[in-house]
Amino acid sequence: MMIEKRWTGRHSLLLSQVMVWFFFILLVLCDVTGYWLVNWLCANVIGNRGLFGGMVLLGTMYLCSIPAYITLWDLHRLLRNMGREQVFVSQNVASLRRISWCCVLVALVCLVAAVVEWPSLGIVTLAAGFMALIVRVVKNVFDEAITMKDELDLTV
Amino acid sequence: MPIVVNLDVVMARRKIGAGELAEKIGITPANLSILKNQKARAVRFSTLEDLCRVLDCQPGDILEYVPEERE
Repeated sequence: MMIEKRWTGRHSLLLSQVMVWFFFILLVLCDVTGYWLVNWLCANVIGNRGLFGGMVLLGTMYLCSIPAYITLWDLHRLLRNMGREQVFVSQNVASLRRISWCCVLVALVCLVAAVVEWPSLGIVTLAAGFMALIVRVVKNVFDEAITMKDELDLTV
Repeated sequence: MPIVVNLDVVMARRKIGAGELAEKIGITPANLSILKNQKARAVRFSTLEDLCRVLDCQPGDILEYVPEERE
């Protein structure tokens, strides 16, 4: 019970921040080793589809990494604001909105790749689209909560 | 907003300062300032009760309905 209590709050926030940094490093590594990674994936995991297939996969990866960087930056900002106890602020709503659109962008890029060459990326399209929906709902909740907080702040 | 807070007037009549009133009704001077400056969106009944008790007045002395002019 005590461990649970001690773990909540600051520690949980710290863990989330560490995870964001972990994924940032992972993303940088994927970008740096993109060419070799795609070669390895084609040779050992998803099957070789020639130069065009490799190019499509590489292009998809690099195109998706742009919204991924934006998402990680926004997650970092969200967690930093929460650390400062600024939870229901318009900056967080803007971050969530951007994250949602980034998910949509990833879904679109993967959809194109799925149609052109890699049908298995359709799963990523669905996952990213669903993630966009979840983040959007959370954004709507935050937006409503800000209105309610403003009302509460001005209640004497 | 068509509800006007006449707290200034009642306070002046009772010759009581904002700091003293805030202390007596147990709210922060910042919140009292929100109320005085017509920025409040809502007033709790408990706050209204404390204001009426300390200022020895009726809610109607503090709050007034002034219809908005339609263009």
